[in-house]
Amino acid sequence: MRSLSQTHLKSASLTLALLVVLVVLGATPTAMAQNPRIQTSQLDALAAKASQTVDVNIDEGLMQLAAKVLSSKDPDEAKVKSLVNGLKGIYVKSFEFETEGQYSQADLESIRSQLHNAAWNRIVNVTSKKEGSVEVYLMKSGTQVSGLALLATDPKEITVVNIVGPVDLEKLTELEGNFGVPELGIELPKTKRKN
Amino acid sequence: MRKSIAISLLSIALAGFVTVTQAKGDGFGDVVKLIERFYHVKHQGIPFLARAGLKMATTVARISGGPRRQLAEAGSVKVAYFEDQDFIAEGSFAAFRSSMAAALAEAWTPFIQVTSAKDEEQTYIYLRDAGEKFNVLVVTIEPREACVVQVSLSPRTLAKLMQNPDEMGKEITIEATTDDQE
Repeated sequence: MRSLSQTHLKSASLTLALLVVLVVLGATPTAMAQNPRIQTSQLDALAAKASQTVDVNIDEGLMQLAAKVLSSKDPDEAKVKSLVNGLKGIYVKSFEFETEGQYSQADLESIRSQLHNAAWNRIVNVTSKKEGSVEVYLMKSGTQVSGLALLATDPKEITVVNIVGPVDLEKLTELEGNFGVPELGIELPKTKRKN
Repeated sequence: MRKSIAISLLSIALAGFVTVTQAKGDGFGDVVKLIERFYHVKHQGIPFLARAGLKMATTVARISGGPRRQLAEAGSVKVAYFEDQDFIAEGSFAAFRSSMAAALAEAWTPFIQVTSAKDEEQTYIYLRDAGEKFNVLVVTIEPREACVVQVSLSPRTLAKLMQNPDEMGKEITIEATTDDQE
């Protein structure tokens, strides 16, 4: 009787352990896929060929600091405060090259591959006043946007902007020229008027 | 007269009001040493220290109540100058950058790093939480000179400077090294 209950206990423990392993294994890729922070360190090798590099890291602590200490009474500060409120990070990496052909499609794929999944949605019809192409992706958690990724390229330049937190195209355009976000010349898609 | 001013300023500097020397293991000192090792250069010695002290004293006076209110409450300032020496990288920017990242990894967070191969210029800004204030470490390297500046800023000042990180390093370095009497 005693040995039977011990066997049951052992079996239950094993089942529980197996369940835990399965849950962890199942949850990890989901959690990783839903992280709005994208990895850009794989581009660092391009720095050796670049004529100019810019790398900006404003993490959650700094974003919260800005949102907390800037004054709501000062109009300029209040504007910035509302802009950064809720944001959990701004990360920018940019490489400029003297000549064309210094980076490969594989370099770009290392970024795109992180964005080509169910968690990210590419916003179509985003255009820039600047030359080259601009790809903008949004990650949504339910109805809330949890992150934005932008890949801007031209033959002599790569720029990756990753904003973590509730952000949209309008906010992105307002952030241009602030907090390390370069002037991207983003043009907001025109909304169709109902007749 | 000049000598006595220099001695006074040197005393102030040594008393810690303005720190122009390097401290060991504090990030600032580590970076100064790294630059010396990497580029085979030396930061300026005692005669220059007095001159830098003059610069620093006026700077501190200026930023205490001067026109640049952004840095008005700057408490402590550390500066190391490397003047009229070669900073042409024997390795690459990437090698220096990773060496510096390793030297500062424990306590400092990289904020902005800008390199320009064309102009042989590098600017790095690192941040460290220092209780009520933030330590900001600015490293600027040009072909013939370099400067390492560490200042303590209030969160509000940091937040304001953060809006324009490209200019932040320049603002801090100029504030910390410009002599009003020049």
